[in-house]
Amino acid sequence: MEPIVKKWYDGLAEGRITGAKCLDCGAVTFPPMTVCRECRSRHLETIKMSGKGTVVMFSSTILPAKPFADLAPIPYGIVKTEEGPCLFTKIEGVDCSSPEAIGRENEKLPAPAEAKVVNVKGLNIVVFKKL
Amino acid sequence: MNNRASIIGVGSTKFGSVLETPELKDRTFQELAAEAAFEAMDDAGVEPDKIDAFIVGNMLTHTSQIYSHSTVLSDWLGMRLKGGFHFDTACSTTNTGLGIAWEMIMSGKCKNVLLVAGEILSSAPKNVFPLDRKAVDAQTLWEWTDYGVDHVYAYHHFYDVASAYGAFPTIGYMRKNKLTFEEMDKAMMEVNRTVRKHSSLNPKALLYSKGTLEEEAKREGFASVDEYWKSAKNPFFAWPTRLFSALNTADGFTASVISAEPEKYANKLPVDIAGFHWTTSNFPWYGEDPTDFPQDKLAFGEAYKMANIKPEEIDYLYVHDCLQIYQLILSEVAGYVPKGQAWKYAVDGKFGFDGEKPLNVSGGRHGGGHAFEASAGFETYEIVKQMRGEAGGRQIKSKLEVVVQHNHGYGMHTAVTVLKKGK
Repeated sequence: MEPIVKKWYDGLAEGRITGAKCLDCGAVTFPPMTVCRECRSRHLETIKMSGKGTVVMFSSTILPAKPFADLAPIPYGIVKTEEGPCLFTKIEGVDCSSPEAIGRENEKLPAPAEAKVVNVKGLNIVVFKKL
Repeated sequence: MNNRASIIGVGSTKFGSVLETPELKDRTFQELAAEAAFEAMDDAGVEPDKIDAFIVGNMLTHTSQIYSHSTVLSDWLGMRLKGGFHFDTACSTTNTGLGIAWEMIMSGKCKNVLLVAGEILSSAPKNVFPLDRKAVDAQTLWEWTDYGVDHVYAYHHFYDVASAYGAFPTIGYMRKNKLTFEEMDKAMMEVNRTVRKHSSLNPKALLYSKGTLEEEAKREGFASVDEYWKSAKNPFFAWPTRLFSALNTADGFTASVISAEPEKYANKLPVDIAGFHWTTSNFPWYGEDPTDFPQDKLAFGEAYKMANIKPEEIDYLYVHDCLQIYQLILSEVAGYVPKGQAWKYAVDGKFGFDGEKPLNVSGGRHGGGHAFEASAGFETYEIVKQMRGEAGGRQIKSKLEVVVQHNHGYGMHTAVTVLKKGK
């Protein structure tokens, strides 16, 4: 079996965001795993994600996880990718400076967004910027 | 083969802190597990030598310093040379354990099974001696707890449990039911008011001595619950979810004895395990609609099918309320209240033990406290006491023939068990 996870992160380092498309049901699993999340098939092919999505909602916690505590406040949201799967990640371009701001910003959602690869404490990850 | 598996005894320690609570202080994990187990065995009228096997739940080995739970606990529980194993579905463990015990009994291998679990979340050993402990801060506790969530991808993408498990389902519920923030906030306040009413009546609950929300608001110097709810004492954990809508961690231990032959032991009402189902999902647990966890719908449906019940037959429901929004979401998914109506039931106080649709009457994970793998056992304890008429000041007076217990296990397992009044 190929090292799926390492390949994905290596791809991010080269600016490539990939997913796994199921050859049996057509669904995309993102990020990729060993089986199709929809039909459990192992017949998968790597595809390049479009990088387009829709921010569905977001919020921000007063108790961020330890690795990210010094980066707070962090707007964290749900993005439905164009391909179907949802990614939960940082949303750039939204105001999370106060609960009232978060409330106001959520009223403008859903809204289109585009993916970008950022390096957070030495690891490349995918975030989305609200357009 | 046996033809029934019934809960005949339950036990629970006080939920509190091993650093401070008199009932828990200066006691080891082993002693507290024994306390819960002995209460359950005494309640059942079953001597240890009559137990055929025991199963043990415990999630945070950082704080218990135990890996081989069944062997380490065997002597302390009176289970030496009995069959046993550690099992884990995180916070749904002692609910899942009811189904495992059913399987062990219905296979014919066991007549009596002891299910026990414990969790210490307040503190960890400073070094290797369990009684020499230091407090654990919230961020460290969550760092360990979040091992229950995907660390291959999700965690590194700024994983935020308050948002993922609290704020998003709340925003989803608001949008689905076209509620303003003010309406949603009021509904959550009323949910918490009922939670605190229940815990103020449960001596084993974490917040028992803190009283009701009304009493606390007055003590804190606020003219009303509404003022207190909206104050700096109750900040937004992650908008729109406020802190009081979230769990309070606790140290606690619970146990149940499940038997194929209730008529042989204590002369108390047995509670039959009539049906159950478990489901699992890696993160994310939902898609665009955070009120729709596919695993919950499936678990309720299959458990009801096994027990041959319809939702309208449920007399009492417990749903996992680490975040109290799930009282609204899951009471609707369970079919206990009509879709889109749970928030109104909460506002009208109908979820009280004395209300039309009693829900989470132990005080749940905020008022009762959350001791991870022991918590579902706290609810089983409550259900059995309620069905026997032993729940004191919070006794549900309406009929209790069919009860459903739902638990989530982080992140995310679902266990649903249907319990019926036995004979």
